[in-house]
Amino acid sequence: MDVLGLLGDGFAGALTPANLLWVVVGCLLGTAVGVLPGLGSSMAVALLLPVTFSLDPTAAFIMFAGVYFGGLFGDSTMGILMNTPGQASAIASTFEGHKMALDGRAAQALATAAIGAFVGGMIASVLVVFLAPALASFSSSFGPAEFFALALFAFVTTSSVVTDDPLKGLGSLFLGLGIATIGVDGISGAPRSTMGVPELFDGISLVTVTVAVLALGEVIYVACLARHLQDGRMVRPQGRAWLSRKELREAAPAWLRGTAIGLPFGVVPAGGSEIPTFLAFGLEKRLDARRRHPQFGRGAIRGLAAPEAAGNSTTGMAMGALLALGLPVSATAAIMLAAFRQYGLQPGPLLFDRSPDLVWALLASFFIAMVVLLVINLPFAMLWAKLLRIPRAYLYAGIAVFCGLGIYATSGSVFDLLMLLGIGIVGFLMRALDVPLAPLIIGMVLGPLAETSLRDAALSADGDFSVLVAGPIPIVLYSVLVVVLAGTVTSRVRARRASRRAAADR
Amino acid sequence: MTHPSNPTSSSAVVGQRLRLRADPGRLAAIAKELTTPALLTAFALYLVVGIVTMQVPDGTPFPGPAVFPGLVAAALLVLAGLLVVRSVRASRAGARAGLSEGSPTDAVDGSDAPDAPGTGADGSAVPERTVRVDWRSLLWVVVSFGAFALLLDVLGWVVGAGLLFLGVAKGLGAPGWLRPLVVGFTVSAISYIAFDMALELSLPSGILGWGS
Repeated sequence: MDVLGLLGDGFAGALTPANLLWVVVGCLLGTAVGVLPGLGSSMAVALLLPVTFSLDPTAAFIMFAGVYFGGLFGDSTMGILMNTPGQASAIASTFEGHKMALDGRAAQALATAAIGAFVGGMIASVLVVFLAPALASFSSSFGPAEFFALALFAFVTTSSVVTDDPLKGLGSLFLGLGIATIGVDGISGAPRSTMGVPELFDGISLVTVTVAVLALGEVIYVACLARHLQDGRMVRPQGRAWLSRKELREAAPAWLRGTAIGLPFGVVPAGGSEIPTFLAFGLEKRLDARRRHPQFGRGAIRGLAAPEAAGNSTTGMAMGALLALGLPVSATAAIMLAAFRQYGLQPGPLLFDRSPDLVWALLASFFIAMVVLLVINLPFAMLWAKLLRIPRAYLYAGIAVFCGLGIYATSGSVFDLLMLLGIGIVGFLMRALDVPLAPLIIGMVLGPLAETSLRDAALSADGDFSVLVAGPIPIVLYSVLVVVLAGTVTSRVRARRASRRAAADR
Repeated sequence: MTHPSNPTSSSAVVGQRLRLRADPGRLAAIAKELTTPALLTAFALYLVVGIVTMQVPDGTPFPGPAVFPGLVAAALLVLAGLLVVRSVRASRAGARAGLSEGSPTDAVDGSDAPDAPGTGADGSAVPERTVRVDWRSLLWVVVSFGAFALLLDVLGWVVGAGLLFLGVAKGLGAPGWLRPLVVGFTVSAISYIAFDMALELSLPSGILGWGS
């Protein structure tokens, strides 16, 4: 019951008028970026990061959490109405969701998506409240060897297992790791790769890199495509925006199954909620094929309910893993980890001891955010769809202005603005060449942690690297990693053989 | 075609299935293939120069500050080499049509999302279109931002950001001049009021000279 008492204190902290305002602001912003195709929650958090420094940390994180969850509530709206997913996590929801809309059930599809996201997020938040403290106290025994193993795990999974192309994924990761080494070395005090430029002694700020890669790079990229984009037709939903008892009975098991699939992915650094949404969709499709009247292909409510629930349950657990272990599983979580560091806080076991007010207010705000998001999404989905009337040119011009605002406001130097442009161009190139960006962000956030724990471990053992595999926890982590890698390699070889056979048959 | 699970791939960015393709001609295709390895190599060389010129304080125990960047630089060079080898092999095999572009990405990922895309017989997944890079738009955006960065201290936030807005909007193909200019100055003025005056971030006032 100790947890409930702490959570009660958290609610008391989160329900102050000011914090409540930030929850609502975050939810509104998150839904907006989720609804708009192309804008995602990672870009929104990156852009907000510099301008929130004048807020107190609790308010800032409550807002970030609202944005993170809100993106997942809003992203299915355009997928359902226009067959254009708002961000990658809604691709799986779009298949059956848009068919429902074409079938005249757009309002019910929107309701299914909103309730699914609510169910997944709520269950995950409850689990986080009870599991995170235990996880945090378990991880308080972690030393450098354990942290290095965790970071390595995150590197390998985000760069090779979940991306299409391991070579490019690893390239992106090592770019991030390399950028993180620039600046004065914390252990020896030697300036590294600064070329004598004083602006580089503090290193390249993570804020600059994330804003450049996720926001400015995207503006340049969209500019190159703008004249080729054509907007699809929007389905106008009619009728009741709630579900009948029959539809609820149909969707409920899918919501729960989707949630169950999404939960474990929140702790595994697998790049966020894209994969669980596809897995949930695949499972529902296979189950559906066994039924007497298969619904898939004609707007199956389960094909929409499961991925929506999976996406938000992953996000909820991801926040838990971030708080308890300091381990980011997606680009958005990595930026939030960076935000914690900017405030001088280190997520992980110590955070629960040192700043319990912040942790529990943040956890309580998850529940508030879910309710707020359900309220602003369930009845008003059509209002959000009107955001699409903003001309794309003005939208992206506004984003470019906001990039400049954020970076200049935090650094006050022209050097950082030029750096922003340079890295933005690199970000554009990476997008254009289909190099994933998430490994770069993860590499830059976790790179210093990996390096210091590697060196601390080796220094404490007089340069003997075998200490890295001495404890039981690292050994378990490395074995899991080997199993995962072996599984990926075999499935890829099998897929390649299959495609070769298909090519030979042609 | 499977949907890419890469969350930052082009189709995820704009919600439409688009892929940039190189300008016509064999040279441009090679240039596109070599951009990624070139980028990785350039950064690796930067790190190597940094390691060589690094002044390590005496008595720093092993593993010192140069070890980790060295590992990173080595890995970058190896990856760049592998990418070059792969694209050479693909372009040789690419004598058979269309294989050079699609095969590495298509073969992968079949296990992660096995039957996700092929949902409908009527093909709900929009076919991917390839489009060319629009260099004029690219220049509009990059030059506008570069000018904004260099002139910000002179022009001040309201004028500088207003012009940046105009430049980027033109780059994205906004029609007319007056409307984007008016919208741009409105955005820059509102952001100045909201962030400089209300949230107390410091933005330059420049030639207009108000607010400071």
